Amino acid sequence: MFQTINLYRRLIGVQIRSQMQYRFSFFMELAGTALITLLEYAALALVFARFETLKGWTLGQVAFLYGLAELSFGVMDLVFSGFDPGLFGWQVRRGRLDQLLLRPVNITLQVLGSEFMLRRIGKIVVGFAIFLAALSMNPIDWTPLKVLLTSLVVVSQVIFFGGLFMIGATITFWTVESIEVVNIFTYGGSYMISHPMHIFPDIIRRFFTFIIPAVFLNYYPALYILELPDPFDMPAFAPFLTPVAGAWMLALALAFWRFGIRHYQSTGT
Amino acid sequence: MRLFWQLTKTSFQRHLTYRTAALAGLMTNFFFGILRAAIFVALYDLQTEVEGITLEGAITYAALGQAMIGYLSLFSWFELMNTIYTGDIASDLLKPMNYFGFWMAQDLGRAAVNFALRGVTVMIGYAFIFDLVWPRGVTRIFAVAVSLLLSWLISFSWRFLINLFSFWTPNARGILRFFFVLSWFFSGFLMPLRFFPQWVISISYLMPFPHMFNTVIEIYLGVLKGPEIILALFHQVLWVLGLILAGQLVLRLGIRRLVILGG
Repeated sequence: MFQTINLYRRLIGVQIRSQMQYRFSFFMELAGTALITLLEYAALALVFARFETLKGWTLGQVAFLYGLAELSFGVMDLVFSGFDPGLFGWQVRRGRLDQLLLRPVNITLQVLGSEFMLRRIGKIVVGFAIFLAALSMNPIDWTPLKVLLTSLVVVSQVIFFGGLFMIGATITFWTVESIEVVNIFTYGGSYMISHPMHIFPDIIRRFFTFIIPAVFLNYYPALYILELPDPFDMPAFAPFLTPVAGAWMLALALAFWRFGIRHYQSTGT
Repeated sequence: MRLFWQLTKTSFQRHLTYRTAALAGLMTNFFFGILRAAIFVALYDLQTEVEGITLEGAITYAALGQAMIGYLSLFSWFELMNTIYTGDIASDLLKPMNYFGFWMAQDLGRAAVNFALRGVTVMIGYAFIFDLVWPRGVTRIFAVAVSLLLSWLISFSWRFLINLFSFWTPNARGILRFFFVLSWFFSGFLMPLRFFPQWVISISYLMPFPHMFNTVIEIYLGVLKGPEIILALFHQVLWVLGLILAGQLVLRLGIRRLVILGG
């Protein structure tokens, strides 16, 4: 166990050192990542002056969802960047995965350590700032349970979307090229849970409740923490399904990933 | 000029071969478009018209945005940058053709394929799901067409210009990405500029970005009328000229310091 952690730390260390070589370029990319997160949020926040609410939700309430979703997706994108389907597909095409498979080290650990996109820190910082802004806009009665739930929300979203990244990466074993549909669940899913789920068409909301349980990652915990009524009459424990949704997706992804590795055939390059 | 059209044709055919990738992208365009439309429905709630844009207009805006991503290459364009780093630029500069025209011809082919494969199909697809606004009257349709063409010219001259940064730094990708991010917000791609406070609108119009996206939208939706349309088109023409001129100047400075390693 200690050896594993040590190895992971060294793999990541190499990544960090190499990314810091072109320092100016690195800071531009960091600033670019922070800027897109900020401007996307600003585009929504600035129009609240004209519209006042998003179907009954105030800017502060939306910012609560938005900040948590951006923060978590940023952390996920940093930790799981080795499994980013686009990047991973490229590795498969170049035959890099074959190299990794030849080494006597756990393959999952190696892929996790193969990339660590530091520029995602820009998204994490801005996401956290939006979350802090939301706290100042909402009068929240904090209880120990609410604090615990908030931290579980972040962890669950990280492993949920990390799992989706792993599934997307595994698909490239067969398709070689990363498939676009995966983006609907990863980037689309994160974009969706940044907004209150009751504004979306029923068919989409049901799909992301019963098939891909993304509704429990952000919306239900927010209803509980902000003490808002549930428009869909789900059972009272719905806000606490967050870690279940996250763990379920990660377990599914790990099983699929192992299956993929067992059936992997190199592209021959 | 014959060379120009020949290049456009070759580029058109080359991009046509990527049609499966273009069609795969359609699904994502659709999904995001539906989410964005739902956000407008929730924002409007009981209002019917805000800042001259009806709810149908706002939904049409969401569709148009997704339809124009490919046509204007809104997300990224590093092609010219790559040729500077690989050294391919040396042979491109030797070609018996103006360097700007060489890239413009190829980008025209790329834009045409994306307009047909992603632009038109996205709009048709949306028309099945939503009540969209369509431009009425020969003059308006003509104005939209002219504005669309000008928006591509602005977009291309701007992308050409910023790619030239690669003459000065060995890793321009970060800088280019930064500019693209700015363009999403200030062009009105993330939200119609009219919905923003006045100070944000004023800042936007100091940049070329609104003229390559927001103007087309406002003409299409009928927010701009009569003489306002002519003025908007005139501004677009000015930006085209200004950006082409800036591109030529920077190109000349860049070539002066260009060193190609043989081998």
